[in-house]
Amino acid sequence: MSYFRSRRKGRVYVEMPAFSAMLVADLARQLIELLSDGEMTDAADVDPLEELVAMDVPREPPSDPALLRLLPDARTDDAEANAEFRRFTEKGLRQAKIDAASVVVRSIGELDPDSATGEAAVEFELSRDDARAWMRCLTDLRLTLSARLELSADDDEETWLALPEDDPRGSLYRIYGWLGYQLESLLEAVQH
Amino acid sequence: MGDNDDVTATPDSSTLERPGTETVVLTDVPWVTIVWDDPVNLMSYVAFVFGEYFGYAKAKARRLMMQVHTEGKAVVSTGSREEMERDVQAMHTYGLWATLQKADQ
Repeated sequence: MSYFRSRRKGRVYVEMPAFSAMLVADLARQLIELLSDGEMTDAADVDPLEELVAMDVPREPPSDPALLRLLPDARTDDAEANAEFRRFTEKGLRQAKIDAASVVVRSIGELDPDSATGEAAVEFELSRDDARAWMRCLTDLRLTLSARLELSADDDEETWLALPEDDPRGSLYRIYGWLGYQLESLLEAVQH
Repeated sequence: MGDNDDVTATPDSSTLERPGTETVVLTDVPWVTIVWDDPVNLMSYVAFVFGEYFGYAKAKARRLMMQVHTEGKAVVSTGSREEMERDVQAMHTYGLWATLQKADQ
């Protein structure tokens, strides 16, 4: 059953189990943390001069495979042009992804873990733009999980689902698949 | 090709002209944005992004998505380097992997 229903003017109504909403919000928070890593995010703490100098430092591609998938190379033919592109765009790209994840966290809101059990559900409505932020964030979460799982095009689902119950990769894979289903449902509601 | 070829410091009439002709020649070779296949992104989402960002009709967006899926990559837009840089960054914002390069490569 889909948690997303289309409303007028591209708006989307969401009703999902509270424990699912908590999982999504928690993953979105982790994504924000991952993308903020090593970046100067708190504007009040940033020395303007330092920030200006940082703009001039050519950037190496991230060493974390998940970050590299979220912030991929734009030029495979020219390492120098690639570093240049990163220097001018990576910060903005990180921020755009952080903003999308923040929309997800904000629309779910604060939930009390004790009440997020059983049949409890949360309801909220997404604006046209918020629904798009949700899609981008769900995609970024899947990209991150795929990098952590080292998924490849040759993998078949059965192998992943056959992992022993105590293998943490099994539950990660199930979350990955579940996020894909949510994205598909949201996409249907948006295109309705 | 005149007698003044060696007098490099002498400004001639072209020095004060607005640069234009050369720039046109440089941008003559267009740039392209390429989207690469990945095992993660949903086919429906990729087609949606092509329709939403580039404004492509459903059939074209779907055809490009299928090309990415079956051939491993597809050229999704053509234009100046600056335009392609913008498109690549937009694709990255959507979570698609895109690169830019000169069209003749």
